[in-house]
Amino acid sequence: MNTNFLFSLLRVSGVLAAVMALASCAANEPSCPSPQTRNLDSAVGFVKTSLKTGCQTQFDRFYDDLLTIAEGDPKPENKRTFSEFLVWSGDQGLLSTRQAESYYNRYFNVKFMSMKGDYNNCSHTCPNKQRVLFDMERELSDKERGLLKVSEDREGYYRADRLYQEVELVLEATCTACTAGR
Amino acid sequence: MKNKCLPASPVDSARRQATLGLLLAASVLVLAQSSLANTPTIRLFPTTVVEDLRQTGNVARDMETGLQEVIGRLDQQQQLYQESKCDGAENDSGCQRLARQIGATYLDMLTIMEERLPDMEHTVNNTRISLEKGLRNELGKKMTPWELQETLVGKAATGTTTEASPTLRGRSGMRLSERFKQYYQLVATSGSQSDQSLAVLASDIYLDMEETSLLIERTRQEIARATLMEQLNQSFGIITPEMMEVVGGVKSILFGDEESRALVAGPPPGSIEQAYRSPLEQ
Repeated sequence: MNTNFLFSLLRVSGVLAAVMALASCAANEPSCPSPQTRNLDSAVGFVKTSLKTGCQTQFDRFYDDLLTIAEGDPKPENKRTFSEFLVWSGDQGLLSTRQAESYYNRYFNVKFMSMKGDYNNCSHTCPNKQRVLFDMERELSDKERGLLKVSEDREGYYRADRLYQEVELVLEATCTACTAGR
Repeated sequence: MKNKCLPASPVDSARRQATLGLLLAASVLVLAQSSLANTPTIRLFPTTVVEDLRQTGNVARDMETGLQEVIGRLDQQQQLYQESKCDGAENDSGCQRLARQIGATYLDMLTIMEERLPDMEHTVNNTRISLEKGLRNELGKKMTPWELQETLVGKAATGTTTEASPTLRGRSGMRLSERFKQYYQLVATSGSQSDQSLAVLASDIYLDMEETSLLIERTRQEIARATLMEQLNQSFGIITPEMMEVVGGVKSILFGDEESRALVAGPPPGSIEQAYRSPLEQ
């Protein structure tokens, strides 16, 4: 009986020790707050510091924060700021080159990252046409944010919008032709 | 030997210069040709397609021309019918005769359409098949999705291209199939839309031809039905509202009575300073 009690006591104390250890770990985790400034350059500086001090997992949220801040002061130069930030992120090993390209092009390029692939259109794009178009539509709204609201690049955004419509039309025709040839 | 030692006459030197000029021009041409040969081109419009398109246009024009005369006749007869105060006096023998004449002209109109449609169907199908092959091979099988995008945007284009943009489907005015849709609506008592880079243009025409083939087929069926109906009406000397609707519709196609679609204003031009190019850009 006494032995049982001793074992139980040891088990409880073990669990307690583990909880304490976890709590102390959590207390050491950085809080990773969003930048509070409305100035894009200062915000980028703040985010860089956070990313270097253990907040890498929050990259997506920080990128979104920066876009929101840039929307408050839209100008063509913002494109460069984001590009330089992404290149820095790649140099720091936070992003791969492909990831950095994707983050940039999704928001600031006319062309669609969601329309990529290594195989021909008949075999790759056509069977997934609806999904490709859906993804492109979502990307177009990111381009609206990056090109129009952040960079004031109206022409670029309207070209992307037209490209989307052209792709929709060309895919409809090409996929019909692919199917007819089977 | 002697000639070699003689000084060249001014005529000779002019001839030599001319020959040299010709040689230079020829070599420039050869160089230009070889550089053109190295440029990748999409073969979406072989000469057969262009010829088919021309022929389709001719057939459509012939049909319109043929119908124009009949429509003119119908107009006159209708005017006479109204001036004779035949509305509401259908039992009057003179009015019945006029109504039969209108009915006969209406049948002429349907006959012309029926006669021209097989030609139209043939040329439309030829164009559709040629374009189908080109689209499948050039855009479907030889290109990846990214290459297709680059073709549409233009390889030299960055994010801020200002090159002239092609018109898209639904904004290029009345298309061939739109006309046929209207023809179909006239006969069937039942509307549609419409355009390019080379790839966009080929896609648009292809889809247009697909639609047109289908509409021609349906229109031919409806003509057969409408002809039968009118042949029955002939014995009674009746002008049906459907007939008037058909005639009104044909007129709107031929004489362009249809309200033209308003163009949507384009966006304000962007700043040229925006031409920043990121090293990350693809």
